[in-house]
Amino acid sequence: MKKVMIGNHAVSWGVLRSRVEVISAYPITPQTQIVEALSDMVADGSLPAQYIKVESEHSAMAACIGASIAGTRTFTATSAQGLALMHEMLHWAAGGRLPVVMANVNRAMAPGWNIWTDQNDSLSQRDTGWIQLYCETNQEVFDTTIQSFKLAEKVNLPVMLVLDAFFLSHTSEPVDVTEQEDVDRFLPRREATFKMDTSDPHAFGALVRPDAYTEMRWHQQEAMREARDVFRQVEDEWEAITGRRYGAVEAYRTEDADLLLVTSGTITSTARTVVDERRAAGEKVGLLKVKMFRPFPTDELRSHLGGVDRVAVLDRNISPGHGGIFAEETRSALYDVPPEDRPILFGYVLGLGGRDVTPGVINDIIDNTRAKNQPEREDLWVGVEL
Amino acid sequence: MSERDVTRPNDTGRNIPPVAISETSTLVNPTGSWKYIMPRYEDRVAPCNAGCPVGIDIEGYMYLIRQGRLREAADLLVRENPMPAVTGRVCHHPCEDSCNRASLDEAVAIHSVERRLGDMILAAPPPPAPERTRTETVAVIGSGPAGLSCACFLTRMGYGVTVFEAAAEAGGMLRLGIPEYRLPRAILDRQIERIQAAGIDLRTSTRVGTDVPWTELDEFDAVFVAPGAHVGKDSRIEGAEGVTAIRPGLEFLKEVNAGERPDLGERVVVVGGGNTAMDCARSALRLGADVTVLYRRTPREMPAIPQEVREAKQEGVEFEFLAAPIGVELDGGDFTGITCQRMELGEPDESGRRRPVPIEGDVFTVTADTVLTAIGEDCDLSFLPDEVHTTWGLVEVDALGESTSAPVFAGGDVVDLPRSVADALGGGKRAAIGIDHFLREKAGEDVTEVPLDALRFGGGNVSALRYTKDEDPIPREAPVNETVTWDQMNPNHFHTVPRHEDHFHDAVDLRSAFGETNFGLTQKEAIEEAERCLNCGVCNRCELCLIFCPDMAISRREDGGFEIDMRYCKGCGLCAAECPRGAVTMTREGI
Repeated sequence: MKKVMIGNHAVSWGVLRSRVEVISAYPITPQTQIVEALSDMVADGSLPAQYIKVESEHSAMAACIGASIAGTRTFTATSAQGLALMHEMLHWAAGGRLPVVMANVNRAMAPGWNIWTDQNDSLSQRDTGWIQLYCETNQEVFDTTIQSFKLAEKVNLPVMLVLDAFFLSHTSEPVDVTEQEDVDRFLPRREATFKMDTSDPHAFGALVRPDAYTEMRWHQQEAMREARDVFRQVEDEWEAITGRRYGAVEAYRTEDADLLLVTSGTITSTARTVVDERRAAGEKVGLLKVKMFRPFPTDELRSHLGGVDRVAVLDRNISPGHGGIFAEETRSALYDVPPEDRPILFGYVLGLGGRDVTPGVINDIIDNTRAKNQPEREDLWVGVEL
Repeated sequence: MSERDVTRPNDTGRNIPPVAISETSTLVNPTGSWKYIMPRYEDRVAPCNAGCPVGIDIEGYMYLIRQGRLREAADLLVRENPMPAVTGRVCHHPCEDSCNRASLDEAVAIHSVERRLGDMILAAPPPPAPERTRTETVAVIGSGPAGLSCACFLTRMGYGVTVFEAAAEAGGMLRLGIPEYRLPRAILDRQIERIQAAGIDLRTSTRVGTDVPWTELDEFDAVFVAPGAHVGKDSRIEGAEGVTAIRPGLEFLKEVNAGERPDLGERVVVVGGGNTAMDCARSALRLGADVTVLYRRTPREMPAIPQEVREAKQEGVEFEFLAAPIGVELDGGDFTGITCQRMELGEPDESGRRRPVPIEGDVFTVTADTVLTAIGEDCDLSFLPDEVHTTWGLVEVDALGESTSAPVFAGGDVVDLPRSVADALGGGKRAAIGIDHFLREKAGEDVTEVPLDALRFGGGNVSALRYTKDEDPIPREAPVNETVTWDQMNPNHFHTVPRHEDHFHDAVDLRSAFGETNFGLTQKEAIEEAERCLNCGVCNRCELCLIFCPDMAISRREDGGFEIDMRYCKGCGLCAAECPRGAVTMTREGI
């Protein structure tokens, strides 16, 4: 069934198809339509779930954690300041190895107050132990929502799926909504590996002494490592049903390229058209889209970027005092590539607070990357008027 | 010994769980020792029950309807109110004025639900007559709501009852005073038949004092006096004596209600602002007259049921406020109208309402063919012996209706001010309890004082079920006889739901029609209305305490109620705070 829908509703439909049992959320622009649609679905009975209203995002995640401990499939959605307010609870979900799924609509952090897209909200939660998946289209948003539950429940880690404010959240695109019976085949009811049992009550999140804490973190890290393979299997299964797959990273026209753009989110779509134009002009330019940020797809990046002359990483985010975060992570991944194969990496910071990233901007970046022998600095700011 | 990898945790042989979960059961930690206060389930009284002059367990029957137990709901209702099909139609429903739900959105339409249950009862065959278990007999004077109520409760208690009625048919003011369009005679007849079927000896056209001398009542062991108030107050209009066009409204109502259709002329003026005035005005309207109600105060002070006033207006009755009749207008000896004095509101009088005072010189004329006066009624108590004391035209009684001369008891309009059907029913019930207690004491039974306060719903009227100690169909947890106020409840868990309003006859073709104007609610609407009841003060098993208890110390009992495992209750008070109805109390007792 194909429907035209905004990205936010693609999330809602994905949650509906996933037969989520508990939803707890607090509204925040530009996410609100996700949970609005879900509350409608719960109210009209099409989604037989508990919808728990709360007074803050901190409580929303706390409610999801409790529901997840009880063994249910659990969802929430948020954005920017809301995600920041959840921070403590994000650790509890991940450390508690709970397969909560959350949609985060990328929105710039305040101040200055801003509701437009930018990745600093989700990337600030890098070390909370959540799997992070960045989406490019509404179709990918729908598919990734359903895949997230399967991935999360297989490795017992929470998953944050991420979509750009407005460019996806409020923009309509046709979405092929997979039929319920097909989703049911792909995603059976959650079988919790451990859960609260009121007849044999135990404390969750109890004190762990130094003699065991490190081991628990090791297990968490093992689960992250495992998640890379499990994501591949999840995609295989989804592709068998729907014919669609995205990859932890996607290589677009990278064959024989001497310059690769590295992108995430909706900038990817714009970059694709620029790559097509440059290729048509005979230029060997390609594109690497990074969907999975945690666990970081280090091996894939090394194999795709090793041997390429120049790499331009486009970051709609900034780690103040360092550089664009995808650029820094990529640079770190490439350190182990032999020096002769190691590309020159240009890290561009652009599009913050929802500023438009046009084909012209990306063309300028390609030209600049070709023109210079070395980047002047680790963070190259594009289009800044001072 | 194998080579050890120093970069990996050496967890062989140790079973570290994947999450931080306690190794032992938390049951070993009886956190209940922390508490210094503890919760207790205590059911309280809903304000509707406390506000009902009849003493009906309204909240109780709403609870049963919510559970789909309609028949039991009707039984519980009729346990306390012998004529719900009547009160569901004509009661001024103070229960709705006290309904806590009004603070949330709108009061529950209790009268509509009562009416529906009342009609349901009438549609079913009457229950078998109660067994005669007592040798004593009681005489009841008057078959209005007070008399029939007392008679009904006495027969249920096993007494023999004889009712004396001066009129040709039973019903008192219900039949003589209340017009058919408010209370269809078929409903009244069936309601009375049911009460009579309990084994009451009903003697109509028998006026005590004339047809039966008072002394003949000596053969009874007790007497309940409830003849009603049938003497219209004098209008005190100067020059009205001998003017036939000026007549008591009650007299007119009795004629109309007996099926007569007196000719009132084209223009009728009704003097008064109470229910009798509204009944006169609307009845006169139905006889084809143009009707104006003259009231000396403002709409705010009118004692009539607001719904009656609204309906009168909708039907085309005109109102002239702040006007009092003072004289008669004659043209060559023929009556043409009345002279009126314009009034204004002055200082409050003893009733708390502002007293109307004349505006000097502001006098006007209202033309009329007939003037109906409805400014209140007095009682004819001339048949009573002197030992039965009266004050200001009312019989002096104690809380259980006992007069100054036992075994004479009294109730209804000869006792109450202000008067209402509900107060009459309630007074009849209280007197039945008083008579039962009196006769048992007289028979030498070991009876203690009637625990009047404990029998009352909160501070309201008494419960017959509590008096007879019959089984309450609703399991009550440690009941406390206190009325729950809105601020003791937690409104956060309630949703607003619009109230179902009664369906009304189209006002267009009302003239000359005495058919019922209010059709009430459908069965479905009445059930939805019952579901709007918040069950104030009473655990209705909503489960929120169980959901909110952070220690999972609350569990369900087999009988549907809840129990708290005090070994684990930390006394946090969340259950009491979250309980939407104020049915959980925190206490230090027992700690």
